[in-house]
Amino acid sequence: MTASVAGEAAILDWIRTLGSRGPVFFPQKIGRQSLGFQPVRRESVLEFAGYHPTLAPPGKRLAPAVEVLFQYRSTPDRGLEFSPPPQPPGQILAGVRSCDLKAIHLMDRVNGAAPGDPLYLARRAGTTLLAVDCLQPCDTACFCAAVGSLGWRQGADLFLTPLEEAHYLMEALTPAGATLLAEAGFDPCPDPETHRRRAEARRANPFGRHWPVPVTELPTLLDHQWQSPVWSRHVERCFSCGTCNLVCPTCYCFDVRDDFDLAAPQEGQRQRSPDGCMLPGFAAVAGGHDFRPQPEGRQRHRVRRKFQYLGARHGGDSFCIGCGRCGRQCTAGIDIFAIVTDLIQHREMAP
Amino acid sequence: MKPRVAFFDFAGCEGCQLAVLNCEEVFLDLLEQVEIVEFREAMSETAHRIDIAFIEGSINREEDAQRLRDIRARSRILVALGACANMGNVQARANFTAPAEHFKRIYGSADRDRVQTDPRFWSLWAHTRVRAVHEIVAVDYRLRGCPMVAEEFLQLVKALISGAQPRQPANPVCVECRLHEFECAFDRGDTCLGQITWGGCAAVCIGQGYRCDGCRGLLPQANLAAHRQLLSERGLSDTDIRNRYRLFGSGEALGEEQRP
Ligand code: SF4
Ligand code: SF4
Ligand code: SF4
Ligand code: SF4
Ligand code: SF4
Repeated sequence: MTASVAGEAAILDWIRTLGSRGPVFFPQKIGRQSLGFQPVRRESVLEFAGYHPTLAPPGKRLAPAVEVLFQYRSTPDRGLEFSPPPQPPGQILAGVRSCDLKAIHLMDRVNGAAPGDPLYLARRAGTTLLAVDCLQPCDTACFCAAVGSLGWRQGADLFLTPLEEAHYLMEALTPAGATLLAEAGFDPCPDPETHRRRAEARRANPFGRHWPVPVTELPTLLDHQWQSPVWSRHVERCFSCGTCNLVCPTCYCFDVRDDFDLAAPQEGQRQRSPDGCMLPGFAAVAGGHDFRPQPEGRQRHRVRRKFQYLGARHGGDSFCIGCGRCGRQCTAGIDIFAIVTDLIQHREMAP
Repeated sequence: MKPRVAFFDFAGCEGCQLAVLNCEEVFLDLLEQVEIVEFREAMSETAHRIDIAFIEGSINREEDAQRLRDIRARSRILVALGACANMGNVQARANFTAPAEHFKRIYGSADRDRVQTDPRFWSLWAHTRVRAVHEIVAVDYRLRGCPMVAEEFLQLVKALISGAQPRQPANPVCVECRLHEFECAFDRGDTCLGQITWGGCAAVCIGQGYRCDGCRGLLPQANLAAHRQLLSERGLSDTDIRNRYRLFGSGEALGEEQRP
């Protein structure tokens, strides 16, 4: 595949021009100190520096907060006709970091598993990913290196590696990426391997936070911690607000509801919106029974999903990709890295 | 036959009824589906049998409580509309002060003394506590907020007329902040009641750059101990915290332990 080297300013200018073919999203400022994947316009202020994980991960652009599953209409003979929602428009997600790229890859696996989620897959097929490597930890909350997402490249169409003097190596990893790169017209790079090796040598080491045991040991460790006091310790301050689910790039649970049009009550639509296992009503079923009524049970479930259940079902070691969003945005300061640290310590203390 | 719908107002600003009238695009469609038999803001008529009664306002006087019981007896479904009906709202703050003290502040000592000694005013003393609707009669559904949210109103009406189970998950305001990708008030150096407050308002206040002051009321699962601790870590004094909880929520158990 092809590669180029270009200066940061030229790359960002080029990203600003991509908007003419469909929506382009890039991390931009929200409020006082936050970032979000916002639509790029000609006048948008874009920069690679100062990145820290966005409020919502870029993958949420593949699963909107309100998504129509189908439209229905009841027919005079008391039957029902269904029609699929319109085909989603294509989009470019640019400035995606390795952690979030891995999350998208994992969601591709989840949504691709039989029978498959056609809406996600249609959006994904129309999405071009322009990812960027990190040579320094983005902040003190992240732990991507501990869960194997640092430097993740799979799934990107174009992958950017920071070089010295505000230049970037741009590698096309798919035919779509190669086309995009050819159209950009940057100087070709005949020897991307060397550039990449040199950049990786400059990467901080150790990188961010680590546990004393590898992530591959967590499933077994979790198996022996059903009754751990760690669970209740970490929910004392929990508000059951669901933030940790809703901001997580590998949380994908949703709730479904039907809505009809008052003007034409025989027509309506079924739509879904994100739900979260930390929310109190999540495990309530018909008849009012709730099989996970306590926050400690819900927290245990969330942690086991990330480090045990999903990996066992879909492959891959960890479905937590270490972005640190959940801990950073939890107003109670509950950090999944700290929960796992405590579980490890508690195991070592137990007889 | 179309369901017969009625609106009644008690002590409130009638902002919720106005919010209903403001559902302009769908209001005429709504009238195709239901028959409005009482609506103080729009018409005047007295119906004997009501399918869905919406109650706006808090209940402040004994005669209001009687009127409410009468409405309940005529109604199949009763909905508390807005923060006043659901939790007493700001006026419930009066419950923390002795009635005689209010009379003095408003009318002066001389008149305060007169209403205490003149038997013609004695009936006033029987009506001195601001109550929410559910403290007097059974409430079937609640539309929270100051004012109520038009979209929630429509969803409830649609569910009731189509026979579906209305859904109002006990989710906090935070859920909507995260789905709309709003920056959290705590990240702006402010504090917020959203974690302990019923959502459903699309977190409008946070979206406008403000914070949640809790107008939709306290969630059943609210972790108040943790919330109090968080606010105090963020520099709020005990008095500040009490005042924040009591702004909309005086009528609820919130802050009761710190009376007066
Ligand atoms: S968590 Fe790691 S990969 Fe993700 S942005 Fe931070 S440093 Fe980059
Ligand atoms: S974000 Fe924090 S407070 Fe909210 S549910 Fe998750 S752990 Fe609990
Ligand atoms: S669990 Fe937390 S740190 Fe892990 S991927 Fe989800 S939001 Fe990121
Ligand atoms: S601003 Fe308030 S409601 Fe929104 S997430 Fe933060 S605490 Fe929750
Ligand atoms: S954000 Fe809070 S104060 Fe504002 S409308 Fe919602 S519940 Fe009420």
